[in-house]
Amino acid sequence: MAISEAHAGRSYPPTPPYEVTAAKIAEFAAAIGDSNPAYSGEASLAPPTFVAVITAAAWEVMFADPELDLALRKIVHGDQGYRYRRQLRAGDRVTGTLRIDKVRIRGDAEIISASLDLHDAAAELVCTAATTFVHSRDAS
Amino acid sequence: MSAQQAPVLPASTPAVDAGQLTVGQALPPLTVRFTRTSLVRYASASGDLNPIHFSEHYAAKVGLPGVIAHGMLTMASALRVVTDWVGDPAKVTSYFVRFARPVVVPDDEDGVEVNFTGTVAAVDGSAIAIAIDATCGGQKVLAAARAEVDLGN
Repeated sequence: MAISEAHAGRSYPPTPPYEVTAAKIAEFAAAIGDSNPAYSGEASLAPPTFVAVITAAAWEVMFADPELDLALRKIVHGDQGYRYRRQLRAGDRVTGTLRIDKVRIRGDAEIISASLDLHDAAAELVCTAATTFVHSRDAS
Repeated sequence: MSAQQAPVLPASTPAVDAGQLTVGQALPPLTVRFTRTSLVRYASASGDLNPIHFSEHYAAKVGLPGVIAHGMLTMASALRVVTDWVGDPAKVTSYFVRFARPVVVPDDEDGVEVNFTGTVAAVDGSAIAIAIDATCGGQKVLAAARAEVDLGN
């Protein structure tokens, strides 16, 4: 089996709840060299791109989906978009639900559009992370 | 030692006033330097442990010219043009980038410099769109990068 246009609409079970902590926010802000004071303190806000911490784990499930037959080393991150209802903050407990929106095949390139909805503990949508991946389907 | 003033932090800058903004206006530019240490830190903080971001051997194996920065690290850095300017990151309502070209990070003390600029692309009441440019060695590394902020947030 390989990924095909017919996989559009495929979705994955929600990720295990992820708890946003002030310590993880501080670590992430330091890693991106950002000293914005909003990212420090006990009630800190997460940098908008902190969502990457949660998406990475959700994508792994899709990359490992035997039905799609993808190889991590052949996947390129094409683009990334985020739409925020609000920014994450310390104390949030969120789950991500990943779905494949669209698959296009262009020669050896399999172009996968996937989006992840992030919901908080009150089941409110916090953010949608939309991603395009390009997977090369070559003989090797 | 004389009493030192606290450094000027983004949140202490006066609130940006949407009424004063015009399309084409430039935001303060930003230059960041990525070294291999930056990549290790980002890998650890983000959980993205793809070896193309730390292993020369693996990067070569997949046809890359060298170890490259996480696209998401470049994306995160680029947004600082907007959040440094607006102060409060809670005002960001959307953000998009296309990864145009990898940022190769050499294994030395200097690493590589990436330059970011931002321009007001649209003003609609309190909603402002910022177009972001990101270049490394004169070449665009992000394309179509755009963030939206709502100053009313």
